[in-house]
Amino acid sequence: MGLKAVVSSPSPAFSTDESGAVEVTNVGHVYETASGTTEALTDISFRVETGRFISIVGPSGCGKSSLLMMIAGLVQPTRGTITAGGRPLVQPDPTRIGVVFQDASLYPWLTARSNVEFPLSLRHVDHKIRRERAEEALDLVGLAGFADKHPHELSGGMKQRVALARGLVQDPPILLMDEPFAALDEQTRLTMGDEVLRIWERTRKTIIFVTHGLSEAIHLSDEVLVLTSRPGKLVDRVSVDLPRPRSFEVMGGRRFEELRERIWQRIRS
Amino acid sequence: MSTASHALPSPRLVRTAIVLGVLLIWEILPRAGIVPSLFLPPMTTTLQMLVVEAPIYARHMLVTLQEVGIAMIFACGGGVLCGLAIGGAASARQIMLPMFSGLFAVPLVVLYPLFTAWFGIGSESKIIFASVYGFLPTLLGTAAGVQTVDRQFLIVARSLGATRMQKLWHVYLPATLPTVLAAFRLGGALAIVGVVVAEMLTSTAGIGFLISKYRTLLDSPRVYAAVVLVLVLAIAFDGLVQVLERRLGIAQQQSGRSVGKRSVASAVA
Repeated sequence: MGLKAVVSSPSPAFSTDESGAVEVTNVGHVYETASGTTEALTDISFRVETGRFISIVGPSGCGKSSLLMMIAGLVQPTRGTITAGGRPLVQPDPTRIGVVFQDASLYPWLTARSNVEFPLSLRHVDHKIRRERAEEALDLVGLAGFADKHPHELSGGMKQRVALARGLVQDPPILLMDEPFAALDEQTRLTMGDEVLRIWERTRKTIIFVTHGLSEAIHLSDEVLVLTSRPGKLVDRVSVDLPRPRSFEVMGGRRFEELRERIWQRIRS
Repeated sequence: MSTASHALPSPRLVRTAIVLGVLLIWEILPRAGIVPSLFLPPMTTTLQMLVVEAPIYARHMLVTLQEVGIAMIFACGGGVLCGLAIGGAASARQIMLPMFSGLFAVPLVVLYPLFTAWFGIGSESKIIFASVYGFLPTLLGTAAGVQTVDRQFLIVARSLGATRMQKLWHVYLPATLPTVLAAFRLGGALAIVGVVVAEMLTSTAGIGFLISKYRTLLDSPRVYAAVVLVLVLAIAFDGLVQVLERRLGIAQQQSGRSVGKRSVASAVA
């Protein structure tokens, strides 16, 4: 991927591979509470081209996770439309979109392998194929030797690797990650970030990554979407024009600081 | 410290001693003339009856076992399935649960005469009565367990495209297994009680019938022998459930604890 990828625009100016494209158009979300209705998100529009890595940042409560859940088809927006792979999403479709949640998402009664196989067994995939695909996915996330462990035998980072493998096992063109490393310690978080980049470079999936870590967002993404809160609104799209692979020096450099400063200003405004 | 642990015998030893003590008292009290043997026939006399009358007891025990077996299938199987279905759907829970809770408070034994009028005094009325008797607590216990299932487990299942039935089978059932087994234990025990009580009230066969018949003949040793058989049946069932709990409960119990093998875990992430 080039230094500065083509800035995506709300309407596709040229025909590309649509399979991994995500288009969010005028999306708003209102929910009912005891004290009346609350507008969580308002008038959000953006487009993500196939194969791009974008992050969504914003203060807590800005609705960035809700937005991701809507793209996943788990929550229906009260206004606007969302398409994934060129088609609208009425319900979750794991063959189009894989989701990695923050935590507590592995089934404790299943081994790592069975957790990864789980989405395939829901679709009655043949036992042998299921096993093969799960091995591949576990291998991809570097957990080949831990297939028979139960979640409680794995560290936080390893659990998220299993969750990642489960998201990848059906080879969806789009992967959504909802603060996947928020519960991990700093060092593990950095390692996992590199892991995700390595997997992204190998599989070229569209990744939408929700985080509250600005450095993490810049480190990983082609572009950072900045939301503000109450109601959640898209206030900026920051293209990250840092060369890849992003070494430690680049991450401490001036351009990195400028980007970080800009995003921080936008969040505070 | 070591002296203290030497001074205390193992719980198992104490338990055995208590049981043996009770059996001994059972033998001594009537033999010494402290308790009339019409009220309490000596243990050996009672056990002797079981040997002498073995064919009769065996024949009636078979009837009881058959009734209990069928009643358990209805009570426990039906109770668990309905409990899963009702506990898993909010609307069904709101409508049905208060009804079943109310019904549970009704002393169903008072309805047994009606059961004999409807289904005759043969096995059918016992099976149906015991099924209903064990069904309610199994249903209520299972439904209560379903409500404690981690919501994140369900969100994940939905993101993976699980259908309603798949959620019940693959998420609710394993997640509620400990509660389901506890409910099964209670429901099964009540099915035994239901059958024996029903046999005692109106019947022509079964252990309960024998108890009732010998009691009217004031044949205490034979009454006690039949009671011993009921105890053995109940204890055997409880032991069976415990074995089942141990077999199925391993992964569950482990998942509850977070003491994983940290050394293994830190090796990868």
